[in-house]
Amino acid sequence: MIKAIDLGKTVSTSEGQLTILKGIDLEIKKSESVAIVGASGSGKTTLISLLAGLDSPSRGKIYLGEYEITALNEEERAMVRSELVGFVFQSFQLLASLSAIENVMLPSELKGDPLAETKARELLERVGLDHRNNHYPKQLSGGEQQRVAIARAFASSVDILFADEPTGNLDTATGQHIIDLIFELNEEFGTTLVLVTHDQRLAARCQRSIHIASGELFMPDVAPEILNNTAG
Amino acid sequence: MNIIRLACKLLWRDWRAGELTLLLASLVIAVGTVTTVTLFVDRLQQALLVESATFLAADRVISSGATIDPSIIAHAQSLGLKTSETLGFVSMVFSEDRAQFTSVKAVDADYPLRGRLIAGDEPFIRGYPVSAGPAPGELWMESRLFPSLGVSRGDLIDVGVASFPVSQVLIKEPDRGGGFNSIGPRVLMNLADVEATGVVQPGSRINYRYLFAGSREVLEEFTRWAKTRLGPEARIFGIKEGTEGIGEALDRGERFLLLGSLLGVVLAGVAIALAAQRYSLRHYDHVAIMKTLGATPKTIGLIFLSIFVILGATATVFGAGVGYVMQIGVAEILSPYIPIDLPQPSMRPVLLGLVTGFICLFSFALPPLLKLRSIEPLRVIRRDLGDSGLSDGFTYLFAVIGTLGLMWWYSRDLSLTLMIFSGAVVSLILLLGVANLLLRSGRVLGMQAGSAWRLALAGMQRRAQENTLQILVFGLAIMLLLILYLVRTALITEWQAQIPEDAPNHFAINISPEDVQPIRELFTENGIESQPLYPMIRGRIKSVNGELAPDRDKRIHRGGEDAPRSSSGRNLTWAYTLPDDNIVIAGKWWDKAYHGPPLVSLEKDLAYRNQLKVGDELIFTIQGRELTTMVASIRSVAWDNMQSNFYMIFSPGALEDFPSTFMTSFFLEKDEKLFLNDLLQAFPTMTVIEIDALIEQVQRIIDQVTLAIELVLVLIIGSGGMVLLASIQASMDERLKQHAILRTLGAGRKLILGSIAIEFCALGFFAGVLATVGSEITVFMLETQIFELEYKMNPRLWVLGPLIGTLLIGSVGTYATRRVVAVSPASVLREL
Repeated sequence: MIKAIDLGKTVSTSEGQLTILKGIDLEIKKSESVAIVGASGSGKTTLISLLAGLDSPSRGKIYLGEYEITALNEEERAMVRSELVGFVFQSFQLLASLSAIENVMLPSELKGDPLAETKARELLERVGLDHRNNHYPKQLSGGEQQRVAIARAFASSVDILFADEPTGNLDTATGQHIIDLIFELNEEFGTTLVLVTHDQRLAARCQRSIHIASGELFMPDVAPEILNNTAG
Repeated sequence: MNIIRLACKLLWRDWRAGELTLLLASLVIAVGTVTTVTLFVDRLQQALLVESATFLAADRVISSGATIDPSIIAHAQSLGLKTSETLGFVSMVFSEDRAQFTSVKAVDADYPLRGRLIAGDEPFIRGYPVSAGPAPGELWMESRLFPSLGVSRGDLIDVGVASFPVSQVLIKEPDRGGGFNSIGPRVLMNLADVEATGVVQPGSRINYRYLFAGSREVLEEFTRWAKTRLGPEARIFGIKEGTEGIGEALDRGERFLLLGSLLGVVLAGVAIALAAQRYSLRHYDHVAIMKTLGATPKTIGLIFLSIFVILGATATVFGAGVGYVMQIGVAEILSPYIPIDLPQPSMRPVLLGLVTGFICLFSFALPPLLKLRSIEPLRVIRRDLGDSGLSDGFTYLFAVIGTLGLMWWYSRDLSLTLMIFSGAVVSLILLLGVANLLLRSGRVLGMQAGSAWRLALAGMQRRAQENTLQILVFGLAIMLLLILYLVRTALITEWQAQIPEDAPNHFAINISPEDVQPIRELFTENGIESQPLYPMIRGRIKSVNGELAPDRDKRIHRGGEDAPRSSSGRNLTWAYTLPDDNIVIAGKWWDKAYHGPPLVSLEKDLAYRNQLKVGDELIFTIQGRELTTMVASIRSVAWDNMQSNFYMIFSPGALEDFPSTFMTSFFLEKDEKLFLNDLLQAFPTMTVIEIDALIEQVQRIIDQVTLAIELVLVLIIGSGGMVLLASIQASMDERLKQHAILRTLGAGRKLILGSIAIEFCALGFFAGVLATVGSEITVFMLETQIFELEYKMNPRLWVLGPLIGTLLIGSVGTYATRRVVAVSPASVLREL
């Protein structure tokens, strides 16, 4: 479902070229759940941004489904995102001027789906927020906001869900609740799940972890003790 | 279709969330102000033209020494113009036992086309308006003629070989101020009776005037058409060409109103740009999220373009409506102060308002919105990412082109537009540099200051770029207001100085040398102040440095431009001392006791246009004899001061061999007019030219133009205030965030309010300094280049500018941002 070949990212800074990622090769299968873990500044957020087509790599290729997104322009990448990709962010990223249901409706509306509202209602009910349909983000707690964000991510029936630190802004109990919700829905919809996290409980729920250090992949699938020492 | 529906939904959601209030308000107010100002200016302009047309009793006049081709009149009538015909001549009229030299005017039943005739039942009363002049077989006479002819109403008066009863007293006629043509008191008669008088003979000096009135466009078309068909003895003119003083006042007044509208447009544009910028900034996250959700840049572009068009159309139509209603309100409120009936506004300003709204929108609001297209979706993860793609240069280009286009369209004068625009751009670049410098100096001072000061100045420094922009915007707004105020003051001062209260309103000419002393005595006896009596001799330049003057004229004035020719006949005089209001600009005025070879002093326009300079030898022909002189000086003359002025003044003794008459000018109050009868009875050979009616009318017009200017100033100040508010609002989010963080760190209300007040006062002070510098430069250019006024530095401004800036921005800014301490820090931080 997702394939990266010799992926590299460098940026120019005032002190010269800075390499953020180099020589990344990876493959994620359909319906697989994968955690990307690593220390702060290791490049994991950059990796997920590249994989999701939010950013362009300096070298290498990325395939999402059948598309080589590294060969597409922003216009075409957006179409691919619209078709394949959903997001959940650490800081929820709900639109403050839109109510809960309007936030969930937005992806379907962008696709021109006439059933946007019905679908949104169902999803909000599914995440247990049907009584908060018309509330605005600032009237919701952090956990509730993240549940709206999750409902929004699944609203456009996507194949891949990218989650960037989805529990990073939440307390342990709420975080646990959100983790449960993501995995339940993931199973229900059969989506491929790629998440970036510091949270070991979350990483442990995934079928596989990819560890990244100083911009390079670090022995995938092995050495949980190293992971324990560096993560968090 | 789908996208438009989505755009409508998003727009509705934005509206509900209050995101649109400021943008929509700036748009409506911008369009509204421009429409109000334009509509009001249009009505005032129309009113001024109609009002001043009463000076001519018409909108256009063909003045001719002979009758004109009747097909010209027929053509005017076929175009729908109203026409009338008058005829004027100078003649003696006789009562039973006395005679009086008078200026007779014969009119038809349609006279006057503009303004009103005022008649009375007895002399020297205020009178009442009447719809037409004397019926055939009757005469009307000016009040003063009744005592001088010793008659009363109903008595018979002889004009030429016919006799007519005097049926009414003529109190006032609209086109009385006809300058030097109106020699002697007026007798008004019917055009049909002229033939019976036998006065009009081949060769007699008759002035035929054909009057026309109608709509502006038709008149212009007719004027163009008629110009090609009139002989050399006839000319067609409107009020502007007809009466020099009024034309100039109207021209300047119109240019000022135009300038006011232009500045209004620029201010409106700035307000829109600021509001759109804020709207765009607040939608960066929106767009980034929508992009991660799969919206393509094209979709985003289309969505925001639709939003823009819907918003723009609503605001423009609504704004134009508001403008229309406001303008009616303004006219209504001000009607007691406007002494003229305002005609209905024409459609042009409504269209102008609508188009202005859209151009303003396109050039000021579209660029920030277009930037949204290029927001990167990665921003959802990395919030520090700004916009990319559309460069600022491109954004400014839009604004530059839009402003230029609008200015040109408004003024229909490319050079005026380019001058104001390039002046503004140069000032802006200078201001940008100075603003940066000022901010830096603020930092150095702040280092040693107390904590509220340090907080404020550190804040200003941190947001240096935004603050530079804000200083510029504040500075620009204050500058535009100062410019308008300064130009207005200069114009009004100039006009008031031009015609002082007691400016001479009568000229006396043809005074014989032996009458000079007795006339002086008569003036003194009656307590009437007069100008010196100047000798006056007709003469012309025969040759310049040996070259014959007519040949030289042909060589110099090949282009046929409208300049005083050196070879034309002129009134010459001589004087010991330089007349008041004259200034020697080259050479030297002669000593009082000078009695050497003849010298002459030339007026500067005559000298420069004819390439005459100090030291040139001029040979004059005077009364058939020649006089050789040398140019001793060149001087400027205040032609509009209503006093005796001369192109050429000779040194004492130069003209003593030539018999001359004398002239003078003097001031008479309305109720002193009977003095003229005594004067003319005592000195029957002299001629008095009355220009009091003309002066009174010029003063009235100037009063009205002044009022119009003040009204426009007030309207523009209103839109300037809007810009200030919009600009403060635009920085609100940033301030809210910073001060919320400071408050969570334990900063008290007093400290924060103090630092806000200091920050705004400092910004205001800097803006005031910039505004002062900028307005001095621009006013210098405007006054010297456009309004042809004399520029004077304004030392008061250097205190007022910074003071106004500090107080205005300080108080408005602090008041508008007081919410910063009223809202709880938690709710602010949560919204961000």
